[in-house]
Amino acid sequence: MKATIPRLRAGLIPSIAVIVVLALLPIIGVPRVWFLYTFLFFTYLAMANMWNLLAGYSGLVSLCPAAFVGLGGYTLAVVTWVGLPYYVGIIFGSIVAALFAMLISIPVFRLKGIYFAIGTLVVPEILRFVFLLWKPVGGAIHGRGAGYTVKGVAEISQSQIYWFALAIGIASIFLMRYILRSKLGRGLAAIRDSEGTAASCGVNVFKLKLYSFVIAAFVTGMAGTISYIYQGYIEPASAFSVRWLITIMLATVIGGEGTEEGPIIGTIIVVFMYFILARYAEISLIIQGVILVGIMLLAPQGIMGIIRKTRPYGFLLQWASRC
Amino acid sequence: MTIFDGLATPIVMGILLGGLYAVVALGLSLVFGVVREINIAHGDLVILGSYFGYTAMTVFGIDPILSLLIGMPVLFGIGFAIQKYLLNRAFRISMDAVLIIAFGLSIILENIFLKVWSPMSRGLTTPYALKSLSLGSVRFPLVYLLDFLAAIVVMVLLREFLRRTYLGMAIRAAAQDRKAAHLMGINTDRVYAFTFAISMAIAAIGGVFLGLTFPFTPVSGMPFLIIALGVVVLGGLGSIAGTFVGGIVFGLAQTVGGHFFGLAAQMLVAYTMVLVVLALIPRGIFGR
Repeated sequence: MKATIPRLRAGLIPSIAVIVVLALLPIIGVPRVWFLYTFLFFTYLAMANMWNLLAGYSGLVSLCPAAFVGLGGYTLAVVTWVGLPYYVGIIFGSIVAALFAMLISIPVFRLKGIYFAIGTLVVPEILRFVFLLWKPVGGAIHGRGAGYTVKGVAEISQSQIYWFALAIGIASIFLMRYILRSKLGRGLAAIRDSEGTAASCGVNVFKLKLYSFVIAAFVTGMAGTISYIYQGYIEPASAFSVRWLITIMLATVIGGEGTEEGPIIGTIIVVFMYFILARYAEISLIIQGVILVGIMLLAPQGIMGIIRKTRPYGFLLQWASRC
Repeated sequence: MTIFDGLATPIVMGILLGGLYAVVALGLSLVFGVVREINIAHGDLVILGSYFGYTAMTVFGIDPILSLLIGMPVLFGIGFAIQKYLLNRAFRISMDAVLIIAFGLSIILENIFLKVWSPMSRGLTTPYALKSLSLGSVRFPLVYLLDFLAAIVVMVLLREFLRRTYLGMAIRAAAQDRKAAHLMGINTDRVYAFTFAISMAIAAIGGVFLGLTFPFTPVSGMPFLIIALGVVVLGGLGSIAGTFVGGIVFGLAQTVGGHFFGLAAQMLVAYTMVLVVLALIPRGIFGR
């Protein structure tokens, strides 16, 4: 009997049904607080998926998603300030993030493993200093730091912002599915198992890693611009904050690093935790840190790792693949 | 008149400040050299040392440097426990697990500081912290000199410890070849725990001198972690002399950079230099 890798093959019809229901939420008229839940879920999901692509599948523990988020957000703000519409900002923001990824890949891709993590950790800190000192458009700096309001967001309706987030979230799921089943994904899988063997079999290790890094930057940057359309204001300390990394890493690790479904489950839990712990703001991050350490020690494969070992998962697989 | 006028002060300040950075980075370097793990929580553990000194000073009225007599054993114990119960286990899972668990520790510590000591900026303002010395045309604060002297003392002691004592030799053996050390009857897990504990005791010293030199807040751990990483990367991970040189290079980059580009840009210059050095010589100046 051929050994098959257990993997949830969600059929096309159920997925489309779920997406349609999610897209109709604003029209049906659900409570407003649901928007915030789902909005955060989809933007974080896109970022977590991309972090998973890097850390779980490409062996690149990148500690700089905040750099892409912040650059995306700043590009959006600057674009609206020079009088262009916000959707140009979304596209430019993603492109700037991707170009920046190419630029920093020159130094950080010379580093291996843990050195790569250090190199990427420094990047958001540098950007924060740059944006504290440099104001791209509009008058001199007053006080500390160059904060911007994103202009023209008042006209965008809540439902529109929600649809943007939905689009990027869903797109990131399909993108992951596509990448992992493409030549790129197979190359990455080979690299993850053994870099030396992959290289000697003709896999261009550097090129594939660079591709996944740039793709991740593009999507993370786009998710960043969308979350700044919602927030409407950007300043260096929060844009390049380590909080982004905490949330994204937590979502991926809880769900299961290196599994396709992991970030989805992880992000649901992180968003729920965000609202449950909002009342206990002081200890909320302490609890999140404890969860991060606990999950990593007790179940390094996350929740998906546990689920995959159980019996009901097998039934679910059979049921889903029949649809 | 040349652009070099007035450069003497930043150079002296940079070298002395380099001593402080070397102490802050030494623990990180030691743990990397022996255990081969990057302790992302190192900056926060250094700040824990600062807060310990702060509490000893404000609550009990003990001089921060004297309080190290208690602070060092306390952090030694905490470090031993962290390595024994968390990181040694994480080690068996994967290198990523070590990184992520240390990151989790850093989040926990930072928020405990916020809760216990409030987000206010604190400093160890002792009477001697405000004095300054002058040497010809160069004036510098007394604490900068103390930082530098502390760095030399700590480095010489650590070096002699690693050379002469049984534990020191065991640490060096485990650093060179874990498996061979294990076969020679060295309990490597225990050696790792002691290494981490020593690194924390040094972090306590670094924390107190940091608090004497700069104000600190609960979130200062991250900037000082990056400084320490920068120092260690410059000097090559896992070498004592390299860490010292790295510290001085970093201190000089900061003060001389500040002299030319303005005080606001001094950290930007230093951080950018770290990235450039990483790109050009990934294994550092003294790298093995």
